[in-house]
Amino acid sequence: MLAKLRSSMRSMLRSILDRGRMEKAMDSELRFHIESYTEDLVRGGMNSEEAARRARIEFGGVEAHKEECRDSLGLRLWDELRADLRFAVRTLRQSPGFTAIAVTSLALGIGANTAIFTLTQEVLLKQAAVPNADRLRLLEWIQTPKTKIGSAWGMFLRDDQGRMTGTPFTYQVYRELRQHNQALEDLVAFKDLSRLAVNTGHEAESLDGELVSGNYFRTLGAPLIAGRGILPDDDTPAAAPVTVISDGYWASRFGRSAGALGQTIRVNDLPVTIVGVTAPRFRGMKTGFPGPEVFLPMSVQPRVIPRPSGSLLTNPNFSWVIIAGRLKPGESQKAAEAAMNVIFRNAVRATVPGRKEEEIAPVTLIDGARGLDTQSVDFAKPILLLSGVAGLVLLIACANLANLLLARAAARQREMSVRLAMGAGKWRIIRQVMTESVLLALLGGSAGLAVGYFGRGFIPGLFEQAWSTATLVPDFNWRVFAFGLGVSLLTGLLFGVAPAWRSTRADVNVGLKESSRMTSGRSRALAGKSLVVFQVSLSALLLIGAGLFLRTLANLRHVSVGFNPEHLLLFEVDPPKARYNTAQMTQLFRRMEERLAALPGIQWATLSSDTLLANELDNTCFRPGGRPLTNDRSKDMAMVNVVGRDFLQAMGIPLLAGRTFSAADTRTSRKVAIVNKTLAHKFFPNQNPIGKTFEPSCEEESEPVEIIGISADARYNTLRDEPPATYYFPYVQADEKVIPMGGMTFELRTAASTASIVPAIREAVRSIDSGLPLVEVRTQMQQIDATMSNERVFAALTAGFGLLALLLACIGIYGIMAYTVARRTSEIGIRMALGARSREVLAMILKEASVLAGLGVALGIGASVGVTRLIASMLFGLKANDPVTLAAAGAVLLAMALVAGFAPAYRASRVDPMHALRHE
Amino acid sequence: MPKPADLLQGTLDLLILKAVSLGPLHGYGVLLRIQQISRNRLEIQQGSLYPALYRLEHQGLIAGDWGESENKRKAKFYRLTREGAKQLQAEAAKWNRMTEIIAGILKTAPEEV
Repeated sequence: MLAKLRSSMRSMLRSILDRGRMEKAMDSELRFHIESYTEDLVRGGMNSEEAARRARIEFGGVEAHKEECRDSLGLRLWDELRADLRFAVRTLRQSPGFTAIAVTSLALGIGANTAIFTLTQEVLLKQAAVPNADRLRLLEWIQTPKTKIGSAWGMFLRDDQGRMTGTPFTYQVYRELRQHNQALEDLVAFKDLSRLAVNTGHEAESLDGELVSGNYFRTLGAPLIAGRGILPDDDTPAAAPVTVISDGYWASRFGRSAGALGQTIRVNDLPVTIVGVTAPRFRGMKTGFPGPEVFLPMSVQPRVIPRPSGSLLTNPNFSWVIIAGRLKPGESQKAAEAAMNVIFRNAVRATVPGRKEEEIAPVTLIDGARGLDTQSVDFAKPILLLSGVAGLVLLIACANLANLLLARAAARQREMSVRLAMGAGKWRIIRQVMTESVLLALLGGSAGLAVGYFGRGFIPGLFEQAWSTATLVPDFNWRVFAFGLGVSLLTGLLFGVAPAWRSTRADVNVGLKESSRMTSGRSRALAGKSLVVFQVSLSALLLIGAGLFLRTLANLRHVSVGFNPEHLLLFEVDPPKARYNTAQMTQLFRRMEERLAALPGIQWATLSSDTLLANELDNTCFRPGGRPLTNDRSKDMAMVNVVGRDFLQAMGIPLLAGRTFSAADTRTSRKVAIVNKTLAHKFFPNQNPIGKTFEPSCEEESEPVEIIGISADARYNTLRDEPPATYYFPYVQADEKVIPMGGMTFELRTAASTASIVPAIREAVRSIDSGLPLVEVRTQMQQIDATMSNERVFAALTAGFGLLALLLACIGIYGIMAYTVARRTSEIGIRMALGARSREVLAMILKEASVLAGLGVALGIGASVGVTRLIASMLFGLKANDPVTLAAAGAVLLAMALVAGFAPAYRASRVDPMHALRHE
Repeated sequence: MPKPADLLQGTLDLLILKAVSLGPLHGYGVLLRIQQISRNRLEIQQGSLYPALYRLEHQGLIAGDWGESENKRKAKFYRLTREGAKQLQAEAAKWNRMTEIIAGILKTAPEEV
């Protein structure tokens, strides 16, 4: 059976590809037969003329037999398809306007879907670039009421039962697990690091990196394009520090020169030797872009990211490394999990002797095919929403095309009647009409793939921060191509099926009569009108979405932030801890403050631990007068921002009472803080907090801090929330124990243009410490914009698509009204002959158009009530059923419907009764 | 001479396979051989031979190669493929079983029922 099928395919392909030879061969074969027969007849005594005649007669119709032969080879389907295609191309050429509208609307619809598919693939589906990624599992603990996790550094989530889960483990536990592991294949450990100061000798830059266990490269099979991976021998305290760099870093710093191997670079001041380069497709074991640029062995942790509490490698209580391994082939997840729990318990018992049995957390194995997935949580919903919007646009384009094709099907009724009368099968006609729509869809799809290809960087670009340099350009691979093709074919079938069905329903008798114009108009118009209503309702839905996001954006822009965000330049500095202890850091910041403030064009230079309006927050316990904690944690918490002396003045936050920080507040003087109005109300109702003290920690006795001033409220981590209770604490008084200090954001108040002074700032910082990278230089306004990226993306895309949908709806309304007017020419003629005025006719047609639009708007608003609830949490300052937005969207659509309907209505009002009646 | 019998539906393929199983033949040769071995008792529409040949070749049961005919002309010779030999055997067995059953039925006398 299979052999037959294979042979058939081969033979058909051969005859299609070499059609000319096949036809010639068939010709000569038949001729040979007839001539041989003729010769035999002559040999039998017949004269040659008579013999030739007999041979031809007995053979039968040569052309008919040839056609049967072609049929045998499966060529008939092919021939018919070719004829259909030729016909379709000709029809499309005949109406270039229609073809242009159809192809353009499909291209935009399919392009949008393709672009979003590339994004989905990149952000939600892409697996780590290692062999057998689908068998990779990550260890995850689940916190139950009794379990003790200890301090941890990493990502934590809540599972569906509301329990906290996390992926970081102690390095000690990893060592134990690896030694006794039977549950999975060999276990690797890794940790993603951000903002490492990497210095090739000229200027330091800030890069992401990954600490990896010695078996990471071999076990995972991470692809390399030069040199070697990090080996077990590199992952020992005595080994000379090595690094493997990414292809991106290799290209940008070393121009992909082979000489990079063996060179020494400094990572957070530790000299490391480059031994290898990873392939571009490998982005480490954590989702994200661009991924780690430097890979370092675990053993360098104490030297690269030192902690005040000592080496993390020997700390049995601090969880921080991510553990991954492949499921053994054929092993079930359940069995591996059970085995892992046993060795995990043993590992904890071995490393933390005092830990009670019930305090050990259960572990599960989660999908690690994508590595540590930090993206899905943030992006799944926005991407789903975008897919929905793009799908809606495509649906509208389909409805529009179905409508236009229906009108054409009606116009071609006579042609179809003729075909049917001459014996064409219904299936044959459906096939012919479908060929046309699928061809249209494929044309639109190819254009759409091009739109998707060139537009694939557009949406990620919208999400990116204005100042970031790396641009994510999603892959465009065969899957995207298949997706585009599939969507095109599906749309072709979707919008083609109704018109195709309609064409076969032509009644031959009626269709061939001259006066058939009135008979089938009604039902066809009804189908067309429903499509237009459907189209208008989807457009209304998109316009409402656009309105909601635009108003959210406007509301966010008008939030009074409580400080002056204009002319503020920001950048980050994160001094390497290996070289800077707290006292040295304080000194460094002091010098930077002074040097920067002295630069021309800078009015104030200050710094803070949290950047305002950047989703950064730090909270501590706040115990007025050192009182014990209450039962309600939220009542004891306040936000803290560790700031420079002139922070309030520089940011333009008004001081309401008391004093600001001064030169008299030093490391050794009494600790002081300024609280905001909300904090004063929350912790000191009806009292004057100035002069009172508080303790800024939850458990320990700590040095009391005196409140010296009250400031006005300023928005803290996000525009959306009212300012929380916040206090400001001078960085000169920060200490490791209570309020530690690390990387800081500098805020510079500039006189005018910010861009021109950036080089001067870089120079000033380099003159203080050339190993200090200046990170994320941006203005405060850009920073605020960045926190609104989701809203901006949705506003831009729904508005763009909404306009497109509006345009398509207008085309739809215009089409259906023009069609109606053409059908009703004689009726309108009679009306006018009977005394109707042209204004009345105009109003009649416009009324019809607005009824259609009105119905669509009503349906759209109805649907929006259900759908917009999904985006309620993304809105700000308005409800999902915001009446202003609903009314505006409705009004815009109605107005556009009248505009679209005006031309046909005007034509109707100009009908000459004499002409119209003669026409019939 | 009695009038030649019309071909039963679907038997032409079987006859062609049998004919070429005796040795490679061109299309006209297939016709002659069938006539010869049936002793002219079968009526075959000459032209309808070719769609059947093409179909069998298309299915890979026979294969055609161009060669020289007995009158020194270029002709396409068909031969049985391995697939075709299997098919011929299966079809022949089926045919024999069928004729046996039908013959048995037709031979049945009234008293046997």
